[in-house]
Amino acid sequence: MAAAVEYIHKDSLIHRLNATTKIFWALFTLVCGLLFNDYRYLLALLVSVLLVAAAARVLRNLLPAIAGLSVFALILLLIQALFFDQGQVVFHLIPKTNYLPVTNYGILSGVAMAARMLSLVLSFLVLLATTRIQDMVLTLVEKFKMPYDYAFMFMTTLRFIPTFLGEVRQISDAQKARGHAVEGLNPFKKIRSYAPVTVPLVLISLNKAENMAMAMETRGYGGGRRTYFRESKMRGTDYFLTAVLLLLLALGVTARVKGLGIM
Amino acid sequence: MAVLEIKNFTFSYPQALRPALNDINLSVEKGEFIGITGPTGAGKTTLACCLNGIIPHFQGGEATGRIFLHGLSIFNKSTAQISRLVGSVFQDPEAQIISSEVEQELAFGLENLGFPPGEMEKRISEALELTGISDLRYRSTIALSGGQKQRVAIACALAMRPEILLLDEPTSELDPVGTEEVFQILGRLNREQGITVLVIEQKTEQLAAHAGRILVVNEGALVMDGEPWQVFARQKELQAIGVRIPQVTRLAGMLGGSDKYSLPLTVEQARIYIERLVRS
Amino acid sequence: MTAARQNLIKVENLTYQYNGEQPVLKNISLEIDRGECLAVIGQNGSGKTTLVKHFNGLLKPSSGHVYINGLETGPLKVSTLARTVGYVFQNPDHQIFHDTVGKEVAFGLKNLRLPTEEIEHRVTDALEAVGLTGHYLTYPFNLSKGQRQRVALASVLAMHTEVIVLDEPTTGQDYRESAQIMDMVKKLHEQGHTIIFITHDMSLVARYADRTVVLCEGQILADGPVRTVFARPELLAKSYLSPPQITLLAQGLGKHAIPPDVISVREMYDLLLKARADKIGCCC
Repeated sequence: MAAAVEYIHKDSLIHRLNATTKIFWALFTLVCGLLFNDYRYLLALLVSVLLVAAAARVLRNLLPAIAGLSVFALILLLIQALFFDQGQVVFHLIPKTNYLPVTNYGILSGVAMAARMLSLVLSFLVLLATTRIQDMVLTLVEKFKMPYDYAFMFMTTLRFIPTFLGEVRQISDAQKARGHAVEGLNPFKKIRSYAPVTVPLVLISLNKAENMAMAMETRGYGGGRRTYFRESKMRGTDYFLTAVLLLLLALGVTARVKGLGIM
Repeated sequence: MAVLEIKNFTFSYPQALRPALNDINLSVEKGEFIGITGPTGAGKTTLACCLNGIIPHFQGGEATGRIFLHGLSIFNKSTAQISRLVGSVFQDPEAQIISSEVEQELAFGLENLGFPPGEMEKRISEALELTGISDLRYRSTIALSGGQKQRVAIACALAMRPEILLLDEPTSELDPVGTEEVFQILGRLNREQGITVLVIEQKTEQLAAHAGRILVVNEGALVMDGEPWQVFARQKELQAIGVRIPQVTRLAGMLGGSDKYSLPLTVEQARIYIERLVRS
Repeated sequence: MTAARQNLIKVENLTYQYNGEQPVLKNISLEIDRGECLAVIGQNGSGKTTLVKHFNGLLKPSSGHVYINGLETGPLKVSTLARTVGYVFQNPDHQIFHDTVGKEVAFGLKNLRLPTEEIEHRVTDALEAVGLTGHYLTYPFNLSKGQRQRVALASVLAMHTEVIVLDEPTTGQDYRESAQIMDMVKKLHEQGHTIIFITHDMSLVARYADRTVVLCEGQILADGPVRTVFARPELLAKSYLSPPQITLLAQGLGKHAIPPDVISVREMYDLLLKARADKIGCCC
């Protein structure tokens, strides 16, 4: 899981793009995903995200994440299909009965939801995989005018994910070694059974946070105006692509206003 | 002029019954390599925090007495200002690393202080060179070994070009290889760059081999202050306090050694000494 | 009729790797008998913790077998093996989550579903064994790290396991705390427990272990009595280890009839006195 949110270094066109362009693309995907709910439009969006991932040569690295997300997507699909009961009934979830009907519209609407979820999350993952964190922080602060503290929080959260996953593994090993079991319990017991892992994790996290804060203090954090080591340069390709995205966005909004893309 | 001076310094944590540091007096010259040791809870970390601005800026409490850096009172300075004079390296290699890339990690402190990019480049290259990790420049920090992480931490402190390098049990979580790496670099920085080193450690064998002066802190007080042989000569006291004595020095003490020439601090020194004893 | 003597722990051709990566352990074979006190040493990454996690089933072999009391660990659950092999982790804060020491020590026993009276009894005994008798109601984080490490040890002790594994029990502790916890471990050994500990501190190995296993890049480089292994520094050097100062000194004084396997300061002192006495020719 940690690998999904880490920067993966490859020499691709996408990697060479400025962080601004990529962040803009992720936002663009988000807006498009929310604009439409026609399954065809959303599937097209998903395909476009996968194509970008392929162009960035990170598709293979993201396969485990995609696999995991697909499970959620399937659940989302089923839930949506159950609640959407317009149209013709295709089958019943409980076979040979009349309970829990699943309709064709239901399925298509479910597909739309799943495609939307996958597009949004994957675009974000592609962004993280192709952009160095410090470049993102720089862009967020300079171009998107985010206060540095927030961008910094974002950066350190990402940086600490692998660390905390490591801690969770160690804590759960330690508790297992004392006979603690998480598997095979009813839901209520299961929730309580997470306490031996979550409590030490929270305490350790607070401790690490304090240590990190001290380290930051002794390296001059908060001491006035900040400069940046690496610059963020926008090149021809960046401007061109941003313009294309803007155009597509305009087209998309127009289409939506005209009533296209909704079921 | 002393680079660091502590005069009658007493400090208590908020709502504490007893002071954590009691009437500390210390004078440190430029270029010294000082090892600080003592049992857990003696006040070593508290002392370090008073020298790098954590106390009082990050952690409150009551203090009396004075601390001077280059003749100027430390309490008039912000932690940002102090960070240019005192570079800190802490115990947990994981928690003091802020970025996922080594180069960015080194740039962090410099960015905070508002240096121009050209100057940053110079300092980053220099710091990487001094700690022997130029080849790690573009690596991810997360995948590094403990020893490498601590070297990165030292490089980050060095990038600020401090006069004093202050380290709090930097090798506690490291294996013998990592420990040796850290001490080698500290020795080199001290000898070649003239950086004043203050390192808190439990590993007295390393301190004996590298430090020119040893301080023993116990229950908030500075109970010993001298050259390694002077400190390790007081063996009964050290055992009562709970400070480990290097094995060869303890042996020499048992054989009656009590001065500079009869209290070896390293295996090699001990070998030469014993050979001489046996021959006589 | 002779009963086949069963090793308490038997490792047979153990190889272990994480998914698709290089093997961390390569074809390791090892036998540990009841009542031994064994130190596992080696550089970081040599596989010490990986090996030892096979003893309580936290890890299962990728190939090869690990037997505890004759039973193969593969199909067994960790909670089952936890009755035989207790594991004290390096960082006590990875397990402490209760608000009193007493409840913390009782945790493992509750998992074993023991009756309340028995639990009370064992907790009291365990706290006494680690010198924390008055601290039943103490909030664990009001204790020092060394004391918390003892709480962790107590919670394993209470489970009355035959084997106690300690992963770097003295890291981050001062001299006195280290000695305290290791003296407790020694007492447990004298009471019949089988002890296995991982450490970087070679003088600890010299002082407390009878036997040591040296790992290097996933393989066993040496396995034998501490003295024998420490007498071969060139072997230890392959795993970037070196014997304690006093042993190195002894090895440097070889030509004065000092044996290369001296492992304590006291021993060296006695040897030197004897060497001098021999030289002077007095009769002692």
